[in-house]
Amino acid sequence: MQWNGEFLAFFLLSVMAIGGAVFMIHFTRVVHMVLALAFTFLSIAGIYVLLHAEFVAAVQVLIYTGAVSILMLFGIMLTKHRTSDHSDSRSRHQLLSFVGVAAFFGVIMWVIYHTPFSGGKAETAKYTVANLGEWVFKQYVIPFELTSVLLLAALVGAVILAKKERDA
Amino acid sequence: MRCTDIYIHPSLLGQGLMVRISFDGVTGMEYWANYSMTAIFFLLGLALPAAAFTVGRWLRPHHPSAAKIITYESGVDPFGDSRVQFHVRYYLFALLFVIFDVETVFLYPWAVAYDTLRQDVGLFVLVEMLIFVLFLFIGLIYAWKKKVLEWK
Repeated sequence: MQWNGEFLAFFLLSVMAIGGAVFMIHFTRVVHMVLALAFTFLSIAGIYVLLHAEFVAAVQVLIYTGAVSILMLFGIMLTKHRTSDHSDSRSRHQLLSFVGVAAFFGVIMWVIYHTPFSGGKAETAKYTVANLGEWVFKQYVIPFELTSVLLLAALVGAVILAKKERDA
Repeated sequence: MRCTDIYIHPSLLGQGLMVRISFDGVTGMEYWANYSMTAIFFLLGLALPAAAFTVGRWLRPHHPSAAKIITYESGVDPFGDSRVQFHVRYYLFALLFVIFDVETVFLYPWAVAYDTLRQDVGLFVLVEMLIFVLFLFIGLIYAWKKKVLEWK
């Protein structure tokens, strides 16, 4: 393990991402939970930068930290979010939750240790936005156009669901 | 980790500052140098409000009374709660915003690679994006016809 600036940045960003997630579970008010989740999203964007995936990092900030967090906030504002948590109902499931989490941890660790990570670091110059654009609009035109159909379906579905909610 | 030297490259002073940081003799980390600048701005952004509020606390007088600590609401005594329940139409706008935000993300690599793509595939690159935008435009017209965009 090399102790350099990159490792320090990775360490800090990981602590921030995990810390945000832990706080999200720990907070009792839903709005605070969304803020903690947005903090985790931002830290993950920093980790993408460390992996030289700058476009993905920008998208992470634009879509997740921006749009999805705002969407969650609006969703919360629609509901009556005054109800505090009931810790008594949680304690019953504690053992069950612990078993589930431990099993999940075991599976994830097993997969990580048994996955052959081929190749070292990605080359810095290879994954620029310009190269990404050339790939998407030359080799992957059909998936790109299908994405627009997917987005259209999502839009129509969102309108139908939300309209039903509003008219009810 | 020991930060050995931080200096500002003199030749880049005109185009904007570039700080080059070398860690333990590892130099030439141009890529990270740009992000160390970002990190410095991030830290400054965090430090500025913290410093402003701390200094403000030292300077201002602090004599609270019952009348003073009431929430200010333009001279009227506040009533009700500050957290209100939003109408569902806000949620519809937020949903539409997310979808068009995703669409915008695809425009960035297309715009950056436009010149090289036009040399390779000609005007088809424009048609590709027009088809993409047209599908989303159909969605916008659908939302319009369904009276989602009306505000009353």
